[in-house]
Amino acid sequence: MSGGVALQAFLSGLALGTAYGLIAMGFSLVYRLTRVIAFAHGDLVIGGVFIGVLVVLGSTPVAATLDVTHSVGLAVLVIAAGAALSAGVYLIAIRPFLQGVGRQSTHGDVLGWVAGGLAAGLLIREVLGLVLTQNAYAVPDPLRLGRVTPSGVLQLPGGETVGVRALGVMGIGLAVGVLVERLLVLTGTGTAMKAVSEDPTAAALLGLPVRRLVLIAFVVAGALAGLAGLLLSPDRSVGVDDGVILGLKAIAAALLGGLGSVRGALAGGLALGVIESFITASSVLGPRYADVVPLAILLIVLALGRQGQRLRLREDPE
Amino acid sequence: MIVELAHHLYLLIAVLGLALSVSYGGQPVLCQGAFLAVGSFGVVHLERAGLPLVAAVFTGAALAAFAGYLVGLLTARLRGAAVALSTWAFAWLVYAILRAFPAVSGGSQGLIRPSPARLHSQIFGVTITLTPLVHLAVAGSVCLLLLAAVARLNRGPAGLVWAALREAPALATSLGVPVLHRRAALFAATAAVAAVSGGGITVLLGVAAPSDVSPLLSLQLFVAVLIGGTARLWGPVLGLLVIAVIPPLADSLAGAVGLPSERSGGVLTALVLVAVPFLRGPIERLAGRWPERAERPREPGEPSGEFAARTASEEGVVVAAQGLDVAIGETRILTGVDLEVRAGEIHALIGPNGSGKTTALRALAGALQPTGGRILVEATDVTRAGQLEMVRKGVTRTFQRTVGLEGLSPHRQVLLGVHGATPMPFAAVRHLLGSASVRDHSAAADREAWRALHLTELAEHAFDRPRELGAGEQRLLQVARAVATGARVLLLDEPAVGMTGPERATLARVLRRLAEDGTAILLVEHDLALVYGVADRITVLDRGRVLAGGTPESMAADPAVRRVYLGDVDLSSAHG
Repeated sequence: MSGGVALQAFLSGLALGTAYGLIAMGFSLVYRLTRVIAFAHGDLVIGGVFIGVLVVLGSTPVAATLDVTHSVGLAVLVIAAGAALSAGVYLIAIRPFLQGVGRQSTHGDVLGWVAGGLAAGLLIREVLGLVLTQNAYAVPDPLRLGRVTPSGVLQLPGGETVGVRALGVMGIGLAVGVLVERLLVLTGTGTAMKAVSEDPTAAALLGLPVRRLVLIAFVVAGALAGLAGLLLSPDRSVGVDDGVILGLKAIAAALLGGLGSVRGALAGGLALGVIESFITASSVLGPRYADVVPLAILLIVLALGRQGQRLRLREDPE
Repeated sequence: MIVELAHHLYLLIAVLGLALSVSYGGQPVLCQGAFLAVGSFGVVHLERAGLPLVAAVFTGAALAAFAGYLVGLLTARLRGAAVALSTWAFAWLVYAILRAFPAVSGGSQGLIRPSPARLHSQIFGVTITLTPLVHLAVAGSVCLLLLAAVARLNRGPAGLVWAALREAPALATSLGVPVLHRRAALFAATAAVAAVSGGGITVLLGVAAPSDVSPLLSLQLFVAVLIGGTARLWGPVLGLLVIAVIPPLADSLAGAVGLPSERSGGVLTALVLVAVPFLRGPIERLAGRWPERAERPREPGEPSGEFAARTASEEGVVVAAQGLDVAIGETRILTGVDLEVRAGEIHALIGPNGSGKTTALRALAGALQPTGGRILVEATDVTRAGQLEMVRKGVTRTFQRTVGLEGLSPHRQVLLGVHGATPMPFAAVRHLLGSASVRDHSAAADREAWRALHLTELAEHAFDRPRELGAGEQRLLQVARAVATGARVLLLDEPAVGMTGPERATLARVLRRLAEDGTAILLVEHDLALVYGVADRITVLDRGRVLAGGTPESMAADPAVRRVYLGDVDLSSAHG
């Protein structure tokens, strides 16, 4: 792999990784507050995108250029749909199985929320699949990031090019990611969430609105997932079923970043994006391994990662 | 029609296999479709490599078992939700591999093999054509065989181990059951059965296609197992009804409204999946009769000496800690603790809350690795031994809180202790084949269990429902299970918690009886009246160090001990 190709892979990997990072941030945030593994999280990304597309463009979308109203409408809708789906999944499929206020998932009916999350994801995929019958769709880019320069590409030293879009994705994604992370550290709501993540019972006893905070966390996570979908989907053809692997990759990213740390999730996303991009660009492995390797990483980190004990992924020995 | 029925029966095989891990092992496994794929594609590839059909099916099953064992080991330490996550990821990993490598999977068309298959035996000179009817017979017989085998195993020692795996893994470890390997072994069995099912379906349909073994199938099989509830034989059959009903229902629904039928099947699966957690409660209650009422094995005539030989009295130190340092994370819990427990002696370990009593006990039991010092069992250094090895060496502990095995009668719970400490290699296989050595072993185990029940005065409660036992009897049952491992050293963590006065007297009697039998007992206890009444020797811990040690009389008089327990006051002035 020449230096130019490597630089290209690195930059597009960062763009991809930014999107993974945003999804992983939401996953981590939700996990931190509730210890719930959000099985439907990846489906929120695709669900948000396709709900927006269905409303704005109908059931046979083409990647045509949109006018301003449609662009803004699509962008807002996708993010709002992600947030709404996330809140819906939480209220219908997860909260009924958590025991009361101030309890984390390890106490409740584990099988209940696991099945609930899996079912919610499946339902999102299959219901959308009833309407969107093709294997994959090209989704237009409402942010029009690719059209900032006339050619849509930038020349890199080494003779290769990188899409302007990738840089735009990186810029917007990182800006939002860092903003959300800062807000979680600096605002009162963020501090209250930290309290809930450390000891939900004590937080509830102190009068913090634990249920509302958890709901807010799910909404924020869903909005981040929607934004990630907005950034991610125009670069590739997207199918209704792509959500699961996207979600699992985000979980891998969150684990790489030390699950439960929102900042770490963003960093883990970037790392995973770069890894995947290099796999795709490599002449030995190639794009066939783009899904296989991240899933294998997830399995290995989950089983052997050192955080397992601390993060309550492992069984207590007692 | 017959093809469909045979297909459903093959899927039932996969469901029965999955029930081993989910219903009996208590692990939420979401990757049965992936193991089915190993069988499906394995059979085609192995046949193309020149293996005869039957050999190809069995080789596929062996490969799947190996893969299952590995995945099982990877997930064995994880919490339930994390097991679900990693098996779900594994299901998608296998699916991603199938889609990415058409050389393996034949692309979206799948791999075709000639159908109907013919089995040719050169020895008998006959050729059998595998018509759908033959498939129906084969699949049906495999189902019946599996049901019978699982029922037989569940009644025996394996059933005890499974109950412990799903209800109280920590307790199982403390009784000498190798939890991680048992879980992985169940996983391997699950995978092997799935591969047989996958192979059968491929031969029946003449094609192995990635879309037939997608993660959706994994979810459907999981739902099928769940819906029947835990560890009940008819459960999976009920679940299969769900699976068999979904596709035609989806087809007719889709036909009526004009929507794609595969997607409708997915929607229905999702709805059932949501419904399952809500339905589980009522189904469990419906089936929730006390399962042990039916069989009440009689108590055997005379107690045997076969197992009891291990507790033979021996004078001298049995277990000793020398300069033991223990830290949990960065926190130092124990510093330079010296302890000796002698055969036939009750040694009480007392001290204020947080002084490190339970930590010392866990370190001695091998549940915590000390950071310094040595642990000896009869002069052998066992500092690095794990819990299982310590149980084999005759050191068993109990827990501070009552750990229940709701579904097992006290008699069976105590039997678990016997089998945990004296396992038999390939006991499950031998039990299935009905070997004579297994019968002798279980008869001896039964006698040993009764010995433990008599020693702890629980014999008359042997077949009571655990939740109907009194708090004191439940605590005694913990002791009985530990005694049943044939322990020479018992490490008891607050056995008197929650006991009434008379129950404490019983406990004291039981402890004395055990000591007279030659057992060394280390007793962590807050009830000082009990301690002074029963202990031969007392060690007082304070903030991780040994404060004092000696006879009960000298400890009662020791001013330092009084200060730790009563605060830094002069008792004579406290009255003024």
